[in-house]
Amino acid sequence: MSNTIGALIVAAAAGWVGAAALAFAASRSAGIRLCASVSGLGGLAAVVAGVLLAVHGGGTTILLGEGPVGAARFTVAPLAAPIIALLGAVAASNGLYAPRYHQASTGTALYLAVYNMALLSSLAVLVAGNVVAFLVAWETMALTCYLMILRHHERPGVSQAAFLFLALSEIGFVLIVLAFAILASQTGSLDFTTIAARAHMVPDGWRATAYVLALIGFGFKAGLVPLHIWLPAAHPVAPADGSAFLSGLIIKLGVYGIALFGFRLLAGGPAWWGLLTMGLGAITAVLGILYALMERDLKRFLAYSSIENVGVIITALGAGMTFIAYGQPAIGTFLLIAGLYHTVNHGIYKTLLFQEAGVIEHAAGTRDMDRLGGLIHRLPRTAVIVLIGTLAIAALPPLNGFVSEWMLFQGLFQGFRISDHTAGILIVVAGAMIALTGGLALNAFARAYGIPFLGMPRSRTAGAAAETGQPVAASGLLACVCVFLGVGAPLVLTALDRVARSATGRDIHSQLLVAKLTVIPAHTNFSGFSPTYLAVFLICMTLIPVLIWKAGRPRANTRRVPVWDSGIVSFKARMQYTATTHANPVGVTFQSLYQPTIHMERGSDDPAGRSGPVHYRYAVTPIFDRYLYHPTLRLIRAIARLARPIQSGDVNLYLLYLFIVVLIVYVIYAT
Amino acid sequence: MASWFYRGLRRGVVTTRYPRGPLDPWTQTLPAAPAFHSAQLTRELVRELADVCPAGALTSSDHRLTFDLGKCTACGRCLLVGGGAVTSSGEFLLAARDRSSLIKHIPIAGDGGRDGHA
Amino acid sequence: MPDNRAATQQATARLAEELGRQTFAIFDRSLHIRTVDTGSCAVCESEIRLLSAPHYDLHRLGFFFTPSPRHADLLLVTGPAVRAADNLLLKTYEATPDPKVVIAVGACALGGVYEENQLIHGTVDRVVPVDVSVPGCPPSPLALLQGLLIAVGRLQDKVDALSFDLDNESVS
Repeated sequence: MSNTIGALIVAAAAGWVGAAALAFAASRSAGIRLCASVSGLGGLAAVVAGVLLAVHGGGTTILLGEGPVGAARFTVAPLAAPIIALLGAVAASNGLYAPRYHQASTGTALYLAVYNMALLSSLAVLVAGNVVAFLVAWETMALTCYLMILRHHERPGVSQAAFLFLALSEIGFVLIVLAFAILASQTGSLDFTTIAARAHMVPDGWRATAYVLALIGFGFKAGLVPLHIWLPAAHPVAPADGSAFLSGLIIKLGVYGIALFGFRLLAGGPAWWGLLTMGLGAITAVLGILYALMERDLKRFLAYSSIENVGVIITALGAGMTFIAYGQPAIGTFLLIAGLYHTVNHGIYKTLLFQEAGVIEHAAGTRDMDRLGGLIHRLPRTAVIVLIGTLAIAALPPLNGFVSEWMLFQGLFQGFRISDHTAGILIVVAGAMIALTGGLALNAFARAYGIPFLGMPRSRTAGAAAETGQPVAASGLLACVCVFLGVGAPLVLTALDRVARSATGRDIHSQLLVAKLTVIPAHTNFSGFSPTYLAVFLICMTLIPVLIWKAGRPRANTRRVPVWDSGIVSFKARMQYTATTHANPVGVTFQSLYQPTIHMERGSDDPAGRSGPVHYRYAVTPIFDRYLYHPTLRLIRAIARLARPIQSGDVNLYLLYLFIVVLIVYVIYAT
Repeated sequence: MASWFYRGLRRGVVTTRYPRGPLDPWTQTLPAAPAFHSAQLTRELVRELADVCPAGALTSSDHRLTFDLGKCTACGRCLLVGGGAVTSSGEFLLAARDRSSLIKHIPIAGDGGRDGHA
Repeated sequence: MPDNRAATQQATARLAEELGRQTFAIFDRSLHIRTVDTGSCAVCESEIRLLSAPHYDLHRLGFFFTPSPRHADLLLVTGPAVRAADNLLLKTYEATPDPKVVIAVGACALGGVYEENQLIHGTVDRVVPVDVSVPGCPPSPLALLQGLLIAVGRLQDKVDALSFDLDNESVS
């Protein structure tokens, strides 16, 4: 079995290398189809590999021994299994999407080559077995993603967004290197298995430092607040399948890094690690969705929603670590399963939504929600698929988002089982914050679906949208996967339980699934529900009234009349809600958080009443830019200004520096 | 307990019993349509009344005064001009199913039909 | 022969009236009213609004106001049917499902004060068919209640029997 898994992973990797090579034939559309098909097949191989790895999550497999690049070792650990499967699903879906989305050109060829290398390096990150392999793969992934974002570099704002991505990725990388360096030097080995085995010997101070550095370093990639500012800039400017890949997978690599450190390499630590992680996750979730509600651009909105979901995942992981630290390993494992499950779920539906955002942009000509409308009539199949994705991400039953968030809440609500009351209260507070996030997410996605799809088109291009030639199969496939992951949750949970067992050493299968179809949160008398039965129940609830109505149709005449419109002469598109007004209640409630800049000017101040045109401008700039990044940048520039005299450009001064340094070294080694 | 509760107990029921039971005495002061003494109407008077009505409810002809109840606003100008011939009828419950039943014809039976002399 | 025909005509007329009353009688226990303002001065609306106050309390009679004409059985139309409100009045009338009753309220709606010109129709029945007329400027809430009760057949008109000629009490 381990050989099969190994073979499949090699096949996936080979597929993506091949696709990268074939990408250079993508100057013609047939080339795109070929490249995308190979990439998709590689994705399928990865999916199967991930699923098999999760199900047979036993030992690890060694793929390559000592390679030519120093000591690069690749082993496949079960903790990476869900994300490998997710990577495969995203790659397969993008393989179906790309031929209908991209125009054949040299730019596309380069983009597809870089994209497939990004897929390959992501896979390498997930199967890396030692520090060097991990770091090399990580940097490659970051650089290839940077090049992906630069696809449309001629457009305004793209190079800045890509630079922001790279800069913050590199800062995170420095911290990750430091964390690995601490662990490697303290345990004396570069291999993950050895580090994990020897981690308990490392002094507490070093372990804590390593964990915090890893949390912040990987947090840059995952998108934790306030390290997230590259996300809303970079995700919208990439092509749709690139954004899908970034949001669906790359930020999960940050989550994987945190899980790697928390659960595998350091194998748990004091409770404050978990509480810190959980707190950061909860804050990220709330702030992410609050800023999402203020966005008019569909893709920026989805980017902020990704930040919110990463917050939810990190909260699950952190709470899991807390429970384990306080001697409740069953609930801790349950929360880890919930976190991994949400990772997979979010990857699937966020990929779907970003792909469809690309379809909408192509069909309707704009991403601005305030210029869209009525797309449900013009893009019917897209509307159905986006509806499934929206219901999933808003965590409505019986879809997958509901199951994973239900699990998270059930885990958090059991905070009272912890003996330390402070920690229990903090966990419940985190639960309350995630509940707030859930409510705001429902509002946000009702807005994100209702404004573009329902009502009347708010611009001519939206009115002219057509569905012909748009990619449908890719997202349709993902929608089916969403339904499967929701209704077939017991199967998924069985697999994830095996994954979690390898991470925490505890198998809670009997405390997770009762009678094969009911999920319980690690305790029999707390709560429980069955996703499968719920799905059947909901279908019946919908069908039975319809059947009753059809059978006993009333005899009275029916008449078809226009919608009652209060007797106005005719409906105009401007009479509808806009995305901005829909979110206004939240904007006013959280005004002190948003600190919007409001600017109003009139033509004149005529007291008789006619003051000419009034211009009203309402803008929300995230507080992190204003209060964290700009002051930090100012500080760095100030320090640089102070240090400038050192680089005077005078060669004699530089020779003096050399002389002084040699003198110091001589003095040190002489004593 | 809220003060309105005690106030309500003290005041009792204030709802009118209409349509069952008699109308409250204060309704006698409501503005009402005019009624005419046909025996005191002359052609001149009728023409004056038709001129003075701002709502167009009174129209004159040689033989009769046509009073459209529907158009009357109970302003009282015809009472001022008509002297003893016009008084308030006290009727304000005037709803009708048939529009034509709101149009009343008052014959001009005053002496001044030919002499102009009451 | 002529006698027979006259008798038949009278019988038919009585039957038609009875049928009309029965159609409206289905509303007598629960009636939903929607007001339509076609350009009134809003004093009629004030009196209509008073109907739900404690003194007149139309809820005790089973009458209710509703904002949507789709839920309405009866339309209370005020105002002299301004032409700019044609679209509004006709759309409201069509949105109200059958069977429906239209009551024209106030002197303006019945043709008083404002004559037909290029801005107004003058009377509401030039736009929609009117079933009951309630004169007054404005009609007291009691008169409105009488109009509503006549519309649902719980009261009979009494204005028919009044002559307004104090010297000649028989109806002309």
